[in-house]
Amino acid sequence: MTARKVINDRTVVKQLRSGLSGPNAAALAHSRARVRKWFADEAPLIQWGEMTSPLGSVFAAVNRRGLCALDFGRQESEFLARFDPLTRLEKNPTAMRRVLAQLREYFAGDRSTFNLPVDISQLTPFQRSVLDVACRIAPGQVWTYHRVAQELGRPRSSRPVGQALARNPVPIVIPCHRVIASDGGLGGYSGGSGLKAKRWLLRLEGAL
Amino acid sequence: MALRFEELIQRHHDEIFAYLWRLMGKDGRRQGAADVEDIVQDVFLRAYESFSGLRPNSNHRAWLYKIATNCAYSQLRRIKNRRHKLSSLERSATEQQTATEVSSLHKQMEQTVRNLVNELPAKQKACVTLRYLQDLDYPEIAQILSCSQESARANVYQAIQRLRIALEKET
Repeated sequence: MTARKVINDRTVVKQLRSGLSGPNAAALAHSRARVRKWFADEAPLIQWGEMTSPLGSVFAAVNRRGLCALDFGRQESEFLARFDPLTRLEKNPTAMRRVLAQLREYFAGDRSTFNLPVDISQLTPFQRSVLDVACRIAPGQVWTYHRVAQELGRPRSSRPVGQALARNPVPIVIPCHRVIASDGGLGGYSGGSGLKAKRWLLRLEGAL
Repeated sequence: MALRFEELIQRHHDEIFAYLWRLMGKDGRRQGAADVEDIVQDVFLRAYESFSGLRPNSNHRAWLYKIATNCAYSQLRRIKNRRHKLSSLERSATEQQTATEVSSLHKQMEQTVRNLVNELPAKQKACVTLRYLQDLDYPEIAQILSCSQESARANVYQAIQRLRIALEKET
């Protein structure tokens, strides 16, 4: 009769860990590179950059269609949080050179309109039409929400116009700050520090 | 700020790869890594497709493990079906050849443990791998395998007992 060796549970776990050791570093690195490459090919790329301005840090981002986001007076993390988590974010000053150069000229008072492709495809047709009208307002001028609504053929839609302007993903470049209330008040502004920023922009353009 | 998919890859790729490596019964060599790589790729592809539907406060790690477990189960089922199609003669020849190659390259005991683990029922294998090789706690294991913590504990216990008895016979 042969004596069988008695093994306790701790020994089983020890042998388990030894027998099922993990993969080697080369196998891990190879797979990691493959998954990253797949993600780089699959995920839409968003390149972004930042600059300083009299209104604080300005952040801007482009996708393959054009400028898709702009914000100022906020933290970097707040700006980046707006993008779809499935996209690939890349801080790329070179890709942003043209956008940032035009913004610098604007803040220096050397430019009043922008020559940039803009992507507002994520907005509804109504929101896009409101922003199209805002683009027709010349620098140094202001229109009321009511007038924008009239231009759209919807004179009773002043409030939806205001809501659509608040959804402008690229303030300054699409000059939603040039739209004010009928009573002469500034109305609202969602960019940067709100009405303080709106007032500053209108003063820069000579509208106030 | 919500977790971005890119961060998900960065944070969890390595442990998911290691988990699948063990679950698929691979040894420490580079050989066979391509199979695991394919499954890992499939895991992240499936995760990418359903990432938008995930609640921001979800346990992303457990969710990835769950996808990985399902992908591994599917692959193991395919392998099992393929093996069943082999004639008993072919199978025995293949196994003998594999055993000879392995014994010449690796410690016999490590191979024995791997073989024993590979023979465990799928759920016991997943439970014991998650608990003792991936060092996950029972609430997470229960979440990954869609079972109660008691069931996860019971599966780990049963797996260890099976392995203990089998190892006692081997030694």
